[in-house]
Amino acid sequence: MNSLYTYLFIAALLFSLGIFGVFQRRSLIGMLIAIELMLNAASINFMAFNRFLAPDPIVGQIYTLFIMGIAAAEAAIALSIIVALFRRLRSIDIERAQELRG
Amino acid sequence: MSMEFANFPYLTAILLSCVVGLLVILFIPDERKMLIKWVSLVFSGITMVLSIYLFFAYDKTQGGLQFVEKVLWVESLGIYYFNAVDGFSLPMLMLTGIVLFTGVLTMWELETRVKEFFAFTFLLVAGVFGVFMSMDLFFIFVWYDVSLFPMYPLIAIWGSTRKEYGAMKLTLYLLAGSALILPGILYLFVNSGLNTFDLVALMQPGTFTPFQQKFAFILLYLGFGILAGVWPFHTWSPVGHVAAPTAVSMIHAGVLMKLGAFGVLRVAIFLCPEGWQYWAQLMAVLATCGIVYGAFVGLAQTDLKYVIGYSSVSHMGIVGLGLATVTVDGLNGAVFQMFAHGVMTALFFSAVGYIYDKTHTKMIPELGGMSRTMPIASGYFIVAALAGIGVPCLASFWAELLVFISAFKTYPIRGALAICGLVVSALFMLRVVQRTFYGEKREEFDHLPDVTFGLGIPRMILVAVIVFFGLFPSVMLDVIQVASIPFINGLP
Amino acid sequence: MTSSWFQDPTLLAAALAALLPFVTFALIMIFTRPYPKLSAALSIAAVSVSLFCALFLLGSHWHLEKPIQYTAKWMISGDIYIPFGFLLDQLSLLMLTIVAVISFLVQVYSLGYMAGDPGFARYYAFQSLFAWAMMTMTIAPTMLQFYVFWELVGLASYLLIGFYYEKFSASEAGKKAFVMTRFGDIAFFLGLLLVLFNFGNLNILDMNSVDVTARMSPALITLSAILIFGGVAGKSAQFPLLTWLPDAMEGPTPVSALLHSATMVAAGVYMFARIFPFFSNSAAAMTTFLAIGTITMLLASTMAMVTRDIKQVWAYSTISQLGFMVMGLAAGSYFAGIFHLTTHAGFKALLFLCSGVFIHEYETNDFFEMGKYGGRGLKVPMVCITLAAAALSGLPPLSGFFSKEAIMGGLAGLHNPVWLWAGLLGAFLTAYYSFRLIFAILFPQKIEKPHHGEHGGHGHGHDGGHHHAGIYWVMAWPLIILASLTLVLGFFQTPLENFLVGHHGGGEAHGGHHAWLLYVAVGLALSGVGLAWLEFGRKGASQVGFIEKVEPISALFANRWYIDHFYRRFLDYFIYGIVSNLFTRNDRRVIDGGIDGICRATVGSGWALSFLQSGMLQYNLMVMFAVLALVALYFFF
Repeated sequence: MNSLYTYLFIAALLFSLGIFGVFQRRSLIGMLIAIELMLNAASINFMAFNRFLAPDPIVGQIYTLFIMGIAAAEAAIALSIIVALFRRLRSIDIERAQELRG
Repeated sequence: MSMEFANFPYLTAILLSCVVGLLVILFIPDERKMLIKWVSLVFSGITMVLSIYLFFAYDKTQGGLQFVEKVLWVESLGIYYFNAVDGFSLPMLMLTGIVLFTGVLTMWELETRVKEFFAFTFLLVAGVFGVFMSMDLFFIFVWYDVSLFPMYPLIAIWGSTRKEYGAMKLTLYLLAGSALILPGILYLFVNSGLNTFDLVALMQPGTFTPFQQKFAFILLYLGFGILAGVWPFHTWSPVGHVAAPTAVSMIHAGVLMKLGAFGVLRVAIFLCPEGWQYWAQLMAVLATCGIVYGAFVGLAQTDLKYVIGYSSVSHMGIVGLGLATVTVDGLNGAVFQMFAHGVMTALFFSAVGYIYDKTHTKMIPELGGMSRTMPIASGYFIVAALAGIGVPCLASFWAELLVFISAFKTYPIRGALAICGLVVSALFMLRVVQRTFYGEKREEFDHLPDVTFGLGIPRMILVAVIVFFGLFPSVMLDVIQVASIPFINGLP
Repeated sequence: MTSSWFQDPTLLAAALAALLPFVTFALIMIFTRPYPKLSAALSIAAVSVSLFCALFLLGSHWHLEKPIQYTAKWMISGDIYIPFGFLLDQLSLLMLTIVAVISFLVQVYSLGYMAGDPGFARYYAFQSLFAWAMMTMTIAPTMLQFYVFWELVGLASYLLIGFYYEKFSASEAGKKAFVMTRFGDIAFFLGLLLVLFNFGNLNILDMNSVDVTARMSPALITLSAILIFGGVAGKSAQFPLLTWLPDAMEGPTPVSALLHSATMVAAGVYMFARIFPFFSNSAAAMTTFLAIGTITMLLASTMAMVTRDIKQVWAYSTISQLGFMVMGLAAGSYFAGIFHLTTHAGFKALLFLCSGVFIHEYETNDFFEMGKYGGRGLKVPMVCITLAAAALSGLPPLSGFFSKEAIMGGLAGLHNPVWLWAGLLGAFLTAYYSFRLIFAILFPQKIEKPHHGEHGGHGHGHDGGHHHAGIYWVMAWPLIILASLTLVLGFFQTPLENFLVGHHGGGEAHGGHHAWLLYVAVGLALSGVGLAWLEFGRKGASQVGFIEKVEPISALFANRWYIDHFYRRFLDYFIYGIVSNLFTRNDRRVIDGGIDGICRATVGSGWALSFLQSGMLQYNLMVMFAVLALVALYFFF
């Protein structure tokens, strides 16, 4: 059980869930959470590769730390966009934000 | 850095006086309208004086390129800041100087957005001067596009009669032309193997194979030809003329269309002489169509500016026909015609512009009897019309004479057809003159003032130029010949 | 070269004669337009100098051995060399004198006729322009210079004919004159180019030399001669380009006298004479010209028989006399043509100037009305006009008699008698229509008091104030001078002939002197006069001509044989209606339509593509994902 493929499988599952969430959720918060899932899937991959294939330099772990930092920043920006959008539209439903429709 | 400067850099001075004029105008506050006009007048006056000086200072016995200024700009691509003049470009420079100066004077009564207008005008003219004096392909293309861009705002903001449509049409056409020119230039650049944009270096015989010349020539001919109003790519020109404000029409018809013809000569014909000889038949057909067609369509117009627009198509056809003959006389006539037509249309538009300013109409049926109401303004128009008909002792007569002689010699049928076009052009010009200026005067225009002395100055200059070169054609031809005879003799 | 300019009196005189009027034209147009008196003075001064120079040249070169030629470079382009210069030989000296005399007299006469006209200064400027163009053309050494000034003559006449530009008919007539002569000029130009390419030179003396036949094939000579003759047909109003001339009577009467007697229209005939040896190289071309001249003469005579407008009569008679001159020249009698040109210049100018007095007086062009208002009361013009009409009819001993006889002599020398009979018929008709007019004025059937005196104010009443008498005499003096010329010129036939042809080697085919011809011609002329007397002159005459009694023929003549209608229709339906219209539609629909179509297609496709843009963030993301996935797949496999 404790093999590389287990982790990769979990990461792939998480990533797919993220993709599905991004496409399926109509709420911006939901989409944000789904994006976080995808980021976490990437983090798990990094950690797993680091642990099983190249344990000595801890580049994978550093990368995961970076991703966490970026995720935090991204969440802050995304939330502020969502707030701005909410102020404008009184809603965070993605279907209401269609001003770029051709 | 290789540098060659002949004494004082006159050519750069001409360019600089446009650019400096532009900058100075930009730094003057909007409200100081008179100051802006005076500044424009001074700088355009400098360009005119310099360009006329160059024309007469050019050493005809020595010939070739003179007043050379050459600085290496980008070594890896072989781009030079290379300015020089020869017998072909001197008349064009003088024409641009004269038309700019008279155009500025013609717009003396402009009140809306004065600053922007003159700024754009100077930008436009800087580009025109650049094309005429540059001997580097890259710079020719850059200057060419610099001169095209300001047309759009100039027409769309200050124009009249479907101005957005006219401006858009003109810009699209000319950009389409650029889109043909650029591949043509790059094709030649790549295939020369010399890694240089220097026109003189590329001009050496044997640089391009006959096939390359034929291919590049047709691209360049059509690309530049669009701007020269070559039939059937001419329809932008009447629409653009009609929409443009007076001075812009003057510069546009007087100078900008020459830019196209000059481009055909300087780039297409200079670099691809064999392509030129190969396509000359086609050029002659298109030019003859343009001459006859323009005259016939002009016959049916009711808008004064449309009439002039179509007469321009017809007259530029004469330039094209001259170029198509591949003879010394044809080239002489074509270049002379470019000059003569430039001055003549400038006069046309400046006369019509005045009448339009005062009467607020340029529809022929609404005018009539203007000779009584504004005898002087009408007089200017009539002189231009007579020049357009090709009355002797006015500049364009000699140009047309030379073109027709050489065309009839080279292509008897097409030449004869084009000569017959003269009757039609006489018919439509005189018809316009009759409907607009003769007949009973109209009560509603009675109170309108005639051209004052001050406003008459630009028109007087233009008339004087037309008559001078009409009486003394050799002043012009002696200069052009210095370039055309060696060029034709050097043909493979 | 420049120093000899002022040392050689001949050159100086020629330059002054030819170029001074241009200087006046420029001066008047630029400076003195607001001052009518000064402008007129300038113009007349210039033309008097020209006249003096012309007379001086004629006098000093009366025994000219060989032509004098001066040329200087005007323009060089490649191998085309166009010189500017003067060619003085017998013909050009004679013509220069004629032009100068007529111009001078007309300008003096105009002082009276045009007095008070708002365009007085402009009128004199145009007169100067005309004089310059005409005289420089007359003494041109090459056909190219000839052509250049020929066109300028056309321009000046356009301006003068359309002088009263407020009248639609006047501006229309000017335009018509210009365009129709332009039409002939195109042929002229093409003909010149043919000569230039094949002969290599347009110098008049060279063209007249025998070299031409050596270097050009006969067919080519015929073709170029006929093309060049197109110019003659345009300027001298020969068939089929003859209809502009009657309309050109819309100009002021002195202009008609100037243009349609000696100068502009005679320029065509002059050109014929100028390169006469060139033309005579082609017998076929000469026969064509003979036919054209004959047709023109007869057509115009018939037209003159039905009009009631005094100027129209003289216009038609001008056309027919020009046709007559062309006949004479084409028949090979060089001198007869020139001689008739000379005498015609005198008496036709006289006719027009006299008519001008009548028109000025009665303000009508209808000669029946002139008669009714007592036209015969104007003694000087009445006598003069009768004299001139008699000369026109070829009655002895007036100048017209001699020149007509010379031409008849030439025609009689031809093998085909048709030309002679046509000429005689023409002489009869000429006498008839001239005296129809004279008798109508002289013997009106009822006289009314001229009612124009009652409008008082406009100062045209002939029994008006003193200033009027001055004007009258300004106008009368030129008449008297011309009348005396008409009287005596005929007797100068022999000296003129010696002057003109003496040096041509005397190779003229004169056809001998047929005594019977003399009697027949005079008899026919007299019978023409007699017929006119029967119908218009005698007491109780119906004043309706025999032609006017036959409705269809009279309509045909009055409508100028429908030539004008044909041109009008052609212009309206074919040029404006079909060609011009079609091209314009092509421009709007096909070319513009095509471009607009491309633009619309671009905009439309953008519009169509815009439907893909739903604005849904998630769809965009899906597409991005799909594309990335595909790219990834592409790189993996």
